Amino acid sequence: MAKRVSKAEQAYARKVKDAVHLLFFKHHKLPGVRGWELRQELGSEWQSVVEVLDKQLQPLDLQVTSVTDDPSIVEPTGSQLADARFYITLRGTVDQKTAKTIGWRIDDIAGLAVSVAYIISKQGKAPRTDVERVLQDKLPGWRVKLNLDKYIQQGYLGVDEQGVMYLDWRSRAEVDTKKLVDLVVGFGKRESQA
Amino acid sequence: MSELESVISLCRMVQAGKIEPFDIDFDYIIGVIRKHYPHIKDVRDFCVDAEALKELSGVLERQNKWIEHQSSTLYKDPFMLSQQLMRMDIGAIAEAFLKSWHPVVEIEQVSARTLAESLGYWGDLIPLDERWRNPDVIIVETGTATRGEAHELGLIPEEGFMDLIEGFWRELEDRAGVGGRIDYWDWVGAETYHETVYRAYLTVFMVGYGYANVEWDKLLEETVIIHNPEPKPDPGRAKVSLPVMVDYEEWRQWQRE
Repeated sequence: MAKRVSKAEQAYARKVKDAVHLLFFKHHKLPGVRGWELRQELGSEWQSVVEVLDKQLQPLDLQVTSVTDDPSIVEPTGSQLADARFYITLRGTVDQKTAKTIGWRIDDIAGLAVSVAYIISKQGKAPRTDVERVLQDKLPGWRVKLNLDKYIQQGYLGVDEQGVMYLDWRSRAEVDTKKLVDLVVGFGKRESQA
Repeated sequence: MSELESVISLCRMVQAGKIEPFDIDFDYIIGVIRKHYPHIKDVRDFCVDAEALKELSGVLERQNKWIEHQSSTLYKDPFMLSQQLMRMDIGAIAEAFLKSWHPVVEIEQVSARTLAESLGYWGDLIPLDERWRNPDVIIVETGTATRGEAHELGLIPEEGFMDLIEGFWRELEDRAGVGGRIDYWDWVGAETYHETVYRAYLTVFMVGYGYANVEWDKLLEETVIIHNPEPKPDPGRAKVSLPVMVDYEEWRQWQRE
């Protein structure tokens, strides 16, 4: 019995290791892998293996995040999870100092925050000209175009052939949109209450 | 531009997010479509009419999404949100974003193992001039071979195929016992890799013809062969095809163990 338990532990450990290789290394143009790819490599218990990995990543301030293609899905079904994309993301958040060391200027972060919040307020779609107009209030015109192109190239924002912007895969994977909107709307309230 | 084409363009502005979905007066739009419908003369008019209806249904879909969004926890009044963004300085906006940002972690690197394997591949790669050389074709006269010679060449087995399977089944009974179980690798594994593949091949038919059953533990990745006392497929078991790779490395590991 003990031998059998030990073998099961070994099998799980091997599968968790396989999951690490799949999730950390970039295999396609985009990072992360689809649920069905995890199922193919890890077997039918892939969701349990991912849960174990998520627990093991906790002390390292990392987590496994899943993102469905349809942002309105709150609790995905098994088949929706198989189509979802899985990533490793930071469990906590970064401070301004760390953000600078990974190549983000404060203007770039603020510009992205405004673009994301504005697009959310417009139900996830807004013309690029409108986003540019909002950003131009606080950033010089040349910088606005440059920044928007950078956000598009990095996968935070997308733009269709009609010039309509939307939140792309990276925003959906990395940004807690509800928290962002709450923080923006709640800005100044705590100070005035104090 | 005709009245219907203006309606189509207006509806498309909603789809593009340029105007709010409820800024469209549905009754007015459907009134325009209704007004034009009896005057359709040709296919082109008909297509414009159908296009207007399609775009109007798109507006209704956006109106539905708008209501859903308003009732969700994510909804905040767009005007209030924009006003707040205008009030906040760049530092405060960046701070709010950083508190809700969990960047993706990814690694791009070549490992020492990948490099070693790639070097091995490069070493084994035949130069292009050799690979693209025209093959030397030799014309060989056709001939005949006796059954004995075919046996010697290993082209046909010495006994009948079913005899082979039955012999194999009896060997399973000797090693596992009547109705007994044996680990897949302990069963197929042999002194040489060639013999191992041969045994794995015969095992497939032994199971397929109902002389034995197979069980696979997905978690432990263990496969067990079970002797069938009566050589017929077990009706209680689903007939499944179980692909098992007889990997050379796995065979060597089995030998070491």
